[in-house]
Amino acid sequence: MTASAAPTRVKKKKKSLTDSRLGYLMILPNYIIYTVFTLIPICWTIVMSFTNYNLKSYEFVGIQNYIDIFHDEIFLKSIWNTVYYFLLTIIPTMVLPLLLALLLNRKIRGRGFFRSLFYLPNILSMVAVSMAWSYLYNTQAGILNKMLAAIGLAPVPWVTDTKWAMISVAIMAVWQSLGYNAVLYLSGLQGIPDYLYEAATIDGANGVQQFFNITIPSLRPTTFFIFVMACIHSFEVFGQVYILTQGGPLNSTTTIAHQVYLNGFEYYKMGYASAEAVILLLIILVLTMVNMKGGNTDVD
Amino acid sequence: MSTKSSMGLRAQKTFNNVLTYFFLILLAVIILVPIFFVIVTAFKTDAEISFQNFQWLPHSLNFDAFKNAWELVNWPRAFANSLLITVIVVVGSLFFNSLAGYAFARLEFKGKEVLFIILLMGMMVPAQSIIIPQFIIMRSMPLAGGNNIFGAGGTGFLDSYASLILPFLSGPMGIFLCRQFYSTFPKSLDEAAKIDGCNSFKIYYSIYIPMSTTILATLTILKTVATWNDFFYPLIMTTSEAMKTVQLGLQTFKGSTTTHYNWLMAATLFTSLPIVIVYLCAQKYFVAGIATSGMKN
Repeated sequence: MTASAAPTRVKKKKKSLTDSRLGYLMILPNYIIYTVFTLIPICWTIVMSFTNYNLKSYEFVGIQNYIDIFHDEIFLKSIWNTVYYFLLTIIPTMVLPLLLALLLNRKIRGRGFFRSLFYLPNILSMVAVSMAWSYLYNTQAGILNKMLAAIGLAPVPWVTDTKWAMISVAIMAVWQSLGYNAVLYLSGLQGIPDYLYEAATIDGANGVQQFFNITIPSLRPTTFFIFVMACIHSFEVFGQVYILTQGGPLNSTTTIAHQVYLNGFEYYKMGYASAEAVILLLIILVLTMVNMKGGNTDVD
Repeated sequence: MSTKSSMGLRAQKTFNNVLTYFFLILLAVIILVPIFFVIVTAFKTDAEISFQNFQWLPHSLNFDAFKNAWELVNWPRAFANSLLITVIVVVGSLFFNSLAGYAFARLEFKGKEVLFIILLMGMMVPAQSIIIPQFIIMRSMPLAGGNNIFGAGGTGFLDSYASLILPFLSGPMGIFLCRQFYSTFPKSLDEAAKIDGCNSFKIYYSIYIPMSTTILATLTILKTVATWNDFFYPLIMTTSEAMKTVQLGLQTFKGSTTTHYNWLMAATLFTSLPIVIVYLCAQKYFVAGIATSGMKN
């Protein structure tokens, strides 16, 4: 606006006015939809968590739902399951893709092919992936146990045993996210300027030293991002559990999101489920704030 | 890019390459095993997957499992539903997102920053945490699905295309990516067009849109995969057989055929096929998609 400070003053003023009005107009369609389907539902969930709404009637019950959910053993179990899932997945989710990215970052033939291959599981739907793994995991007919039998090992009750079920869900998740996180690391690796390595080589640093003193520190923003996203995704686990284990056996794989679904849409305890949803929202909010804080200090 | 040259010996380099291939192939096998068994199982006969006569590989390419799986669900309808929803969501959201992205990148209006930050917050809200009010809002849409003007009496948008399309026409991620992309355009572009008498909307569609191929292609890919693969929304919002999407079709399948894993794998295969084809055709945009949407800085 400042550059073309010449012709007629009146005309210019009129133009900037239409510009600001156009601005609102252009974001309007989005904002209407966003307000109706995201902003209002956020507030509504909070309000509803103080009622006993069941699709037919409601009355305000104060903080009763919050008292109840924290005495609900299944809900507490679902929080623990979520944390357990996070603990199971976090190390492999961070380390394996980094190794893969380091391999893919080497100038070798067929690296595009490998990258496409590793990324493939990520584009498949959660339903398809869960279906495929439900066959792999089946205790009697499943492929994994057939493989174990072929090398003389006893069958593993992958999804039918309370000890194994969450581990199985976690293995599947690592399998699916490997390529995605590897591509993130790869773009991080490719952003490290070559002169850092050249200078280090001149100074006589070997490969291992370069890795720990250049690569790892340079990848900190990527690593941090993957870490936080892994936290957040842990709290959103639903589809795989819904299909693969239905939260069982004995609630050993039920998650917060799964509980919200069950209470809200199977038992129609919508007020109660809303209180659980608010807890979910709060957890994600805290994680996001940690992310923004950590992300900022890392980058700037 | 010539850092490796100083590492010395050629033998060392060959050794490193061999090691690289070794680990890459090892990881590739791990990734491929599940996919491989989905494919081979889909071509097996019932006998070949049975407990007694299990065969690792099918004797011949047997399409019975595909035929049987195809008859269990109204697949043509499910594919048509998913396709329709995906196309409308992609086209609609691309238009709305790029429009808003342009406004946030280039136009000056009061409260712009705040409005943008409020939008960004939406990226982090998990679907499950707001699904209950969304369900009620869909059910209470005035004058839809037998509802009166106050949104009571009928089912509103529930079990209709609208419930699976409307919420996804707005996308904080899309707006964010478009804004980032447009921010890199030189401002002189706008100024020159303005001197020529273009208003901002005209600048958007006659200058910005033609230059947006990369970002729009990337968004198309991201949205197509997300919409085609979405399972949670259709699960909550639809009930009838006629409104089933592909993912719902695949999901309902499981309970009825627990012993017929060959049918199930066949269904898994043909429901994933469209997205795999899209992936094979537009790989570079998938990678661009994560590189841009994954890393926010």
